[in-house]
Amino acid sequence: MIDWRLQCRAIYGRAYPRAIGALREPSWMFFDIFLPLLSISAFIFYYRALGAPAVYEGFVVIGGAMTAFWLSVMWGMATQFYWEKETGNLELYMMAPMSKMSILAGMALGGMFLTSVRAISTIVLGVIIFQVQMQLTSPLLLVFAFIITLIALYGMGMLFSSLYMFWGRGAWHLSNLMQEPIYLVSGFYFPVKQLGFYVAMAASIIPITLGLDSMRQILFGAGANGLLPVVEEIAILCVVAVVFIIAAWYSLRHMEYLGKKEGRLVLRSQ
Amino acid sequence: MESNWTSPWLFLVYSVVKPIFGTLILVFMYLIILGGVQDQTLFSFMFIGNAFYMFVAQTMFGVAYVVQEDRERFKTLKQVYIAPISYFMYIVGRAISKLAITALAVVITLIFGVAFLNVGVDLGATDWLLFGVGLFVGLLCVVVIGVALAGITFLTARHSSGINEGIAGLFYLFCGVVYPMTVLPSWGQTIGMAIPFTYWLEMMRRALAPGTDFSAISGLGGYSNLEITALLLATTVVFLIISVAIFRYADHLARKKGKLDMNSTY
Amino acid sequence: MSDAIEVKSVTRVFGGNGKGPAKALDDVSLSVKEGELFGLLGPNGAGKTTLIKILATLLLPSSGQVKVLGYDVEKEVDKIRPRINMVSGGDVGGYGLLTVRENLWMFSQFYGIPTKEANERIDHLLKLFALDDKSNAKVRTISTGQKQKMNVIRGFVTEPDVIYLDEPTLGLDVNASFAIRTYLRKWVKEQKGKTMLLTTHYMVEADELCDRVAIIDKGKILACDTPINLKRMLRRSSTFDVETTIFPEIESMGRLAGVEGFQVKQLGDKVVTRYVVEQESVIADVISAIQSKGGKLTSLSKTEPTLEDVFIHLVGRGLE
Repeated sequence: MIDWRLQCRAIYGRAYPRAIGALREPSWMFFDIFLPLLSISAFIFYYRALGAPAVYEGFVVIGGAMTAFWLSVMWGMATQFYWEKETGNLELYMMAPMSKMSILAGMALGGMFLTSVRAISTIVLGVIIFQVQMQLTSPLLLVFAFIITLIALYGMGMLFSSLYMFWGRGAWHLSNLMQEPIYLVSGFYFPVKQLGFYVAMAASIIPITLGLDSMRQILFGAGANGLLPVVEEIAILCVVAVVFIIAAWYSLRHMEYLGKKEGRLVLRSQ
Repeated sequence: MESNWTSPWLFLVYSVVKPIFGTLILVFMYLIILGGVQDQTLFSFMFIGNAFYMFVAQTMFGVAYVVQEDRERFKTLKQVYIAPISYFMYIVGRAISKLAITALAVVITLIFGVAFLNVGVDLGATDWLLFGVGLFVGLLCVVVIGVALAGITFLTARHSSGINEGIAGLFYLFCGVVYPMTVLPSWGQTIGMAIPFTYWLEMMRRALAPGTDFSAISGLGGYSNLEITALLLATTVVFLIISVAIFRYADHLARKKGKLDMNSTY
Repeated sequence: MSDAIEVKSVTRVFGGNGKGPAKALDDVSLSVKEGELFGLLGPNGAGKTTLIKILATLLLPSSGQVKVLGYDVEKEVDKIRPRINMVSGGDVGGYGLLTVRENLWMFSQFYGIPTKEANERIDHLLKLFALDDKSNAKVRTISTGQKQKMNVIRGFVTEPDVIYLDEPTLGLDVNASFAIRTYLRKWVKEQKGKTMLLTTHYMVEADELCDRVAIIDKGKILACDTPINLKRMLRRSSTFDVETTIFPEIESMGRLAGVEGFQVKQLGDKVVTRYVVEQESVIADVISAIQSKGGKLTSLSKTEPTLEDVFIHLVGRGLE
């Protein structure tokens, strides 16, 4: 039987250092909020140089803000167990009685908090500086789409984290690989539909693709050139979230067994 | 450690996939808005600028990561730091090896552009003197800024990956990398004119694609090749002095605050 | 009293990094009773840490059976984990950006301890270890000894029924080691029924703290008994400390007939050699051999056997 009280305490326990640690390191404020805005600005000026309609500037602001979540999932989630192993924490986590999913959920929650602050700051500043016009029709639907996107996205992060656990340096390179190609196929800076329906649907396995598309549709209406109706996109995201979380659970159990059998939980990769 | 990158898988990741996809994002944005490559000047401007900018992004990211990894993963920062070679020179060495690896990615991207996207690079007509001088001074500038960034990394936490993307973003924004500086507000153009990369990228474009006239769009059309070279040299000297000062100050501060062996993971 | 730990014929083989499989544990059997403070003595690479990792549910044995508190470490981890904890010397755990108190609290949450109760335990332990003035200091700012004290507190804050301590005083100064040893002794004495398995390099630590000690080398248990009984093993043998000038081929002295154990320590231009010999008469042969090799005897004394002598006798060499 699952001891939910224990799991909740474990989630809170692991989320705490993520949230408080970030606030305690003042350098993050500067680097993680103001500087990414520069890259977003560059893409906006690029669109201006091309003479793009103003709505594309809004796409860049939203896409740029969501980049923070993708980086958080790749670097703060997927590669984290590997770091924990190197610093000696992983075996303490493995030996403790809570589900290891709770540790991942804690990291995800803490990461979401930190990244949401960064992303919202980016959006607010982007909207103010570049005078982005939005037609927010349904705030509740927007919040729901955002939350379900994050759950699906961090569910994917949990799956990657368990897969990466013993992979070491290779995981680092894979996380690096999954930046530019994902920015392209998930439509971070333009409507994903422009890549063609089938490419866009294939890219929808990455939750941020449909998450971005649905949020843009809610924020910019018909101008967003959406792939599927918003409700369908959210429904798919719900399914993807469940699939990733279940897959992460199985993968984590399997990797823990493998780690114990092969001794990889106790050996470091140096 | 960079020699690990010579494995085929890593070569593919860092020298082919990442740069090509990074470029394809810009190409798609271009095609989505303009429907095709009607304006070859603007397209070549973007493509060549983006290709050479890889030196800036990759080296700065790489050098800052060297410090973080040495400090918190391998825990060798202290040992290297107290070794008889200066840490400054050690970082310079690491930065140069990053440059060598990035050079492959730049060449592959340019070949891709010329072969599939009709980018106006013409090796037969290339001004090799302008190219050689520009490349040398530009890369020197990349290395010294990378070293300054490594110094700042002494003082910052591991999760501050924003330092890499951010500083690189600053140059991307103001130096007319993928769009002419003229689209920036006037204060932005003033900043751009103070950064060596603005002149460096202009030199690379003029040297490699002499058949394309960038003068009408670049905002630097009023300067001759010699003047552009002089401006690159002058701004590089200023950046070199500032970078060395930043590294030294950060180095001093790191020792003063005991940050050389910090573990900032959370 | 029932067994808290039962290890039956356990072998653990690692891949061996291309040099063929390496046996870290070779047919190891032992049992630790509830309420016992059990020591595991052995040199580096003897298999101590491997055994602890198996007991801590972090590693599976290649063969054999291991039970902790009556539960199988392979199939019943969920019943074991809430009741055990582990402290390793050298590894601190936690996050440098958190304070000492926050780190301890975080780990207590992984065991489901309510915050109020966790804080009370943390306060109590911080005071016991004289670390209360550092409770709000960030972990990355405190000294190695203080970090290790925090690490020990982390192990005890969950009030485990069985605790594994893997070299808990490794690299610590005298004061920090003393504080930790004092607490360990007090814990086992006061907390009835709680079990502690301690691995250590330090013979005195094992002699002073442990109810029983197992000596392990190259993955095999060579002896297992109370320190007194282990020392009794050497009653038939005799131990001598022989001080001489330095002479050639000193290592060959360990191969003399009748010499069971041999350990050399150089002190300036002198050498003090400990000989464990079958009979007292053997020492006469030893002295003759020293003189024939050009060594000059400066002092000779017979000593009472210590745990270290037992170790030398069983393993054939000292720990250092």
